[in-house]
Amino acid sequence: MRKRSKIARWALNIYAGMGMFYLFVPILFIVAFSFNKPRGNYNIVWQSFTFDNWLSPFSERSLTAALWVSLRIGAVSTIVSTILGSLIAIALSRYKFRGSEGINLFLVLPLTTPEIVLGSSLATLFLGQNFINFGFVTIVIAHIMFQVSFVALTVRARIRGFDWTLEQAAQDLGASPWRTFWRVTFPLILPGILAAGLLAFALSIDDFIITFFNAGSTVTFPLQIYGAARVRIPPQINVLASMILFASVAILLVGTISGARRQASMLGSRNTK
Amino acid sequence: MNTTLLVPARQRVGRNADRVGLGALIVASTCLVALGAGWVGGAFRPVVVLVLVAVVVGLLVLVAIGGPQARRLLAPYGLLQPGILWLALFFLAPVWSLLRISLSTKPSRFSVDYTFSWAFENYTTAFRDFGKQFEHAFVYAAVATVLTVLIGYPLAYVIAFRGGKYKNILLGLVVIPFFTSYLIRTIAWSTILADRGPTVAILHNVGLVRLFEVLHIMNNGQLLNTPAAVIGGLTYNFLPFMLLPIYVSLEKIDTNLVNAANDLYSSSVRAFRKIVLPLSIPGVFAGTLLTFIPAAGDFVNAQFLGSPNTTMIGNSIQDQFLKQNNYPVASAMAAVLMVSIASLVLIYTRLFGTGDLA
Amino acid sequence: MNTSTTSRRSGTTRRQFLAGTGALGALGLSLPALLAACGGGDSGGADSLFFENWPLYIDPTEGATLGTVDRFMEATGVKMTYTEAYNDNNEYFAKIQPLLGAGKSIEPDVIAPTFWLAGRLLALGWLEKLPLDKIPNAVNLEPSMQNPTWDPTGEYSLPWQAGMAGVAYNIDVTGRELKSVEDLFDPAFKGKIGMLTEMRDTIGLIMLGLGKDPSTVTSFDDAAGAFDKLDKAKSDGQIRAFTGNDYTDDLVSGNFAACVGWSGDVLQLQKDSPHVRFVIPEEGGTSWADVMVVPKGAKNTDAVAKWMNFVYDPAQAAQLSAYVQYVSPVKGVQEELAKIDPDLAANPLMFPDETTSARLRSWATLTEEVEAEFDAAFSRITGA
Repeated sequence: MRKRSKIARWALNIYAGMGMFYLFVPILFIVAFSFNKPRGNYNIVWQSFTFDNWLSPFSERSLTAALWVSLRIGAVSTIVSTILGSLIAIALSRYKFRGSEGINLFLVLPLTTPEIVLGSSLATLFLGQNFINFGFVTIVIAHIMFQVSFVALTVRARIRGFDWTLEQAAQDLGASPWRTFWRVTFPLILPGILAAGLLAFALSIDDFIITFFNAGSTVTFPLQIYGAARVRIPPQINVLASMILFASVAILLVGTISGARRQASMLGSRNTK
Repeated sequence: MNTTLLVPARQRVGRNADRVGLGALIVASTCLVALGAGWVGGAFRPVVVLVLVAVVVGLLVLVAIGGPQARRLLAPYGLLQPGILWLALFFLAPVWSLLRISLSTKPSRFSVDYTFSWAFENYTTAFRDFGKQFEHAFVYAAVATVLTVLIGYPLAYVIAFRGGKYKNILLGLVVIPFFTSYLIRTIAWSTILADRGPTVAILHNVGLVRLFEVLHIMNNGQLLNTPAAVIGGLTYNFLPFMLLPIYVSLEKIDTNLVNAANDLYSSSVRAFRKIVLPLSIPGVFAGTLLTFIPAAGDFVNAQFLGSPNTTMIGNSIQDQFLKQNNYPVASAMAAVLMVSIASLVLIYTRLFGTGDLA
Repeated sequence: MNTSTTSRRSGTTRRQFLAGTGALGALGLSLPALLAACGGGDSGGADSLFFENWPLYIDPTEGATLGTVDRFMEATGVKMTYTEAYNDNNEYFAKIQPLLGAGKSIEPDVIAPTFWLAGRLLALGWLEKLPLDKIPNAVNLEPSMQNPTWDPTGEYSLPWQAGMAGVAYNIDVTGRELKSVEDLFDPAFKGKIGMLTEMRDTIGLIMLGLGKDPSTVTSFDDAAGAFDKLDKAKSDGQIRAFTGNDYTDDLVSGNFAACVGWSGDVLQLQKDSPHVRFVIPEEGGTSWADVMVVPKGAKNTDAVAKWMNFVYDPAQAAQLSAYVQYVSPVKGVQEELAKIDPDLAANPLMFPDETTSARLRSWATLTEEVEAEFDAAFSRITGA
């Protein structure tokens, strides 16, 4: 009995390990090929090891330009959507009000609509008017559209347990509402907002399908890769992808460590009470 | 004199301010949808714009004169306003205009004008010419969803219950692959699965090719450009959408409960079935939706990993919309996809629903 | 949690703040306009130029060797934007159609559609006349490419590059030389055949294989046999994929045994992959040209003239040809190229001799209705 369960235990662990390996197969491949010295246009057959690509990560001008476009779109859309989404989240968790269930349902709708429908339908909207041409602006609008729901739901989930009576306490102690919000409420819900913003940014940077329908002549990083995949895959794509990967890992690590520290200090302060 | 008259009015408005706030939100959203989707034409457009402005200004006036109670009741609507209006204009209005175009005809092939004419033949065309693609989309997405559960659940389970202090790191590891671009990942798979790539070589050496052929995973000695490759790509790319919700629901489970159950039921399999599984169902439920929906609308995996015989409805919508300029039929296909997914979600929610997606 | 529990005094002003934030919602409405103001394009001005071209269709600057764009900017002082977002004729047309169709202009000053699309744009009235009086080098245009049927006066287009479609194959996989269109349908290559999404090249080649001539097509019936053949091959699993330029990847890596391909691509590939071959099938091949045109409403016509004049200088065009290895439309390139790379200058796929030219066919111009039939039939087969 014991032995059998031990074997089962290990079997499960090994199975999970294989799952983990599966997740990393293409990643290892991508990072490894960033050190490849390809012959010809496609960086898909291993030739020889080189650091050259890493020494000239930005030598592909259009690739770098596209990355820059993506970062700008990501920044603008993330700022706007994080504000809009957080306001919704605060409204939903801070107040009980008429129609809140309807709003909840409405927020989930964009998430249960396939991207291709979101992208194509937004394109039909832009096609039918005379104000904006496809390009930077339409991409930003599209990204904000799908980010808002994500932000609202993420922030709401993160501040679900927030003790709103803290605000009242602060005001009873004489703090002005502005001061209360910026000094008490905001710092406490900020981690949730930042996490949501990070998620929104990641979604924007990596969005392909919705952007594809609304880009006009503007080329974002994913669109550039899509275009490049038809003619040439330079190793710089792997280098930039690896850089994005490593940067995300770094942010993740910092987040985890500071999160753990904050948790520890919060636990500590609770203990002293 | 004025004030004495105003006070009861103000109180009345104050008490009903939430109704006003909700009403204003709905009216303003409707105005935006009307403007965006082109319900109103010509001379009526300025009227709608005026109504919209009037609503917003009216709300501000109400806030200014309404007194504390009104302000308190209005606050949530004020907070909701910007985000909801954005969604009204850029989500609801587009869906409406999509439905409209799906029932429209074009006067000529390269025209940019559409005439709304209840043209249901667009839907007939969609089903007649692209039935196969609908079938592929739903079948591949369903199989991929099942596979994500089979891979994601055990992995989430091990991390949640056996991760110990490495839990967060393991979870981070799971997420890391998805920080590289979706397209790059998919392209990488196309190289890994290529005829002269590593996977096929390994399968040859191990002698599994025959078995894979029998199982229809491989076809004609190739792994790439088969249904299996498309499903594999979908599974890979949407795995975190399954794994993370399951993990969250597993992590909430009190380990003491599991230990107690282990004592109680003596067999850990039974303990799992009686305690852990039921408690983690909400995660599986959310994961299923988050995986199936994007997978059914995807065209990237089918494009890079599939063949002309494995195209999904996303490919068709994309092609009709972005290459053939056939917006009416493309919109009809998108509408069908949207409606069928919405109905599936609805049925699914009714059957297994936990009412909590977020 | 519940709002009603908060005290009146403290609640009031705080709500004012929140309500004030809510009023920002009104601001949200004007945001698109704001974004429009800061996200605008960077074209405009007399000495700027925007050319949107196919990818890998120009020599890039590599180290000290300047590419054509940089040489042009150095020589003329024009600030040039060069993008490679032109991936597919139909896709690009779909992108610009809503704008040009509504009488608006698009960002690029010059684009390089394939000849048939240029003909469509011209027929729709969506092109500007070229400032030919300011392009003296336009006289260098190869006589055989002057005044094509779809631009009879030659006032609207100057070819960028030309080339031919034929059978490309990987001899490591096929194990033999190919020479016929029929080889694409050899059951031995089941699941290892690629076709182009460019309908005219794929269908054109199959038609030639069936003994039909795409240069005389007037109705769908003329090509119906080719469509049937393609449809059957697809259903049988003969065809692995319909691709754009990315067939080169599958060809080199051996996923494709053979495919319909373009001459210049294969020449470029051979440098690193000698096992890749290109042949104009014995039944004949199709020829095509991608042509520079100026979309309606483009502003920088002076810069356009400077650019076209620059690339029609044989010495400049030769440097371009040395990289892209297609058929140059510029007279005198062969002599100039001989100075850079004598082997290339002798290549019949870049400088087709008369016997080669005689085997090539260029597509007839299809009427709008006939073309619609062709496109619909083709997209039913590709299923995409």
